[in-house]
Amino acid sequence: MNDMADRGELTYRRVHDAPRELLFDCMTTPEHLTHFWGPARTTTPIDGVTVDLRPGGVFETVMVSDADGSQYTMRAVYVEVQRPGKLVWAEPDVEGGMTTTITFVELGDGRTEVVTHQTNVPAMSRRPEAQEGFLTSLDRFGVYVAMLAGQR
Amino acid sequence: MTIVDEDLSLTFAALADPTRRAILSRLAGGEATVNQLAEPFAMTQQAISKHLKILERAGLISRTRAAQRRPCQIETEHLDAAAEWIGRHRRQWEERYDRLDEHLATLRRPSQQGPSQQEPTQQEPSQQEPTQQERPA
Repeated sequence: MNDMADRGELTYRRVHDAPRELLFDCMTTPEHLTHFWGPARTTTPIDGVTVDLRPGGVFETVMVSDADGSQYTMRAVYVEVQRPGKLVWAEPDVEGGMTTTITFVELGDGRTEVVTHQTNVPAMSRRPEAQEGFLTSLDRFGVYVAMLAGQR
Repeated sequence: MTIVDEDLSLTFAALADPTRRAILSRLAGGEATVNQLAEPFAMTQQAISKHLKILERAGLISRTRAAQRRPCQIETEHLDAAAEWIGRHRRQWEERYDRLDEHLATLRRPSQQGPSQQEPTQQEPSQQEPTQQERPA
């Protein structure tokens, strides 16, 4: 795929009332992941969670729909593993290649800010204007788009 | 790569530029000609036209062919697709971290029904009152 400059991206920030070691462990331990990983109305059985916590190691979760039992498997590979500060994995099969970076930032009062940064490759054209960069967070686009919609 | 992804790429690329976002913002208020759009920017009409071409190619605006002034107007369909993409991914993480918070809360309260201390009974020993009433004579 092409370089980083022209990827779509999403940044999601969230403060949790827990030390970052615990949060890192929650994100990387099947016993924890099974409790929260899947989206609403799904469960993530613990035997469907594979964590090989090292760069190049497999990170897979099988999510089961509560409604009809249908399964969706996330297949990722760890790219970077730095307890307790940073975790990166890649999903090569999703939307042309999705990379998720999670940064755990200590706030000093027992709380931790978890910054989730997701970039995919909405395969950019190679035109020069497309190379201007995708560094603006899509989150802000979301606000912007909502504003536009509201103006109409 | 699907057509939808390709479209999204064009949309996001078009939105990546502040001038183009300002143009869209202006058009959200109603159609405008190139001249009108160029006004607030310290840019030549040609420069603005280049931006308009990118917006047009991304399907974010359309231009009337017929009229000589060829006014531009905003097309929201592609913006909606972009907003949908953002919303979908965002929602996923929102839900996930909501559940993580719930999980953290359960970790914080370790077996609250531990051996409860035997509380001393508050019952006061009632004093036996003499039932005998002295009748006044």
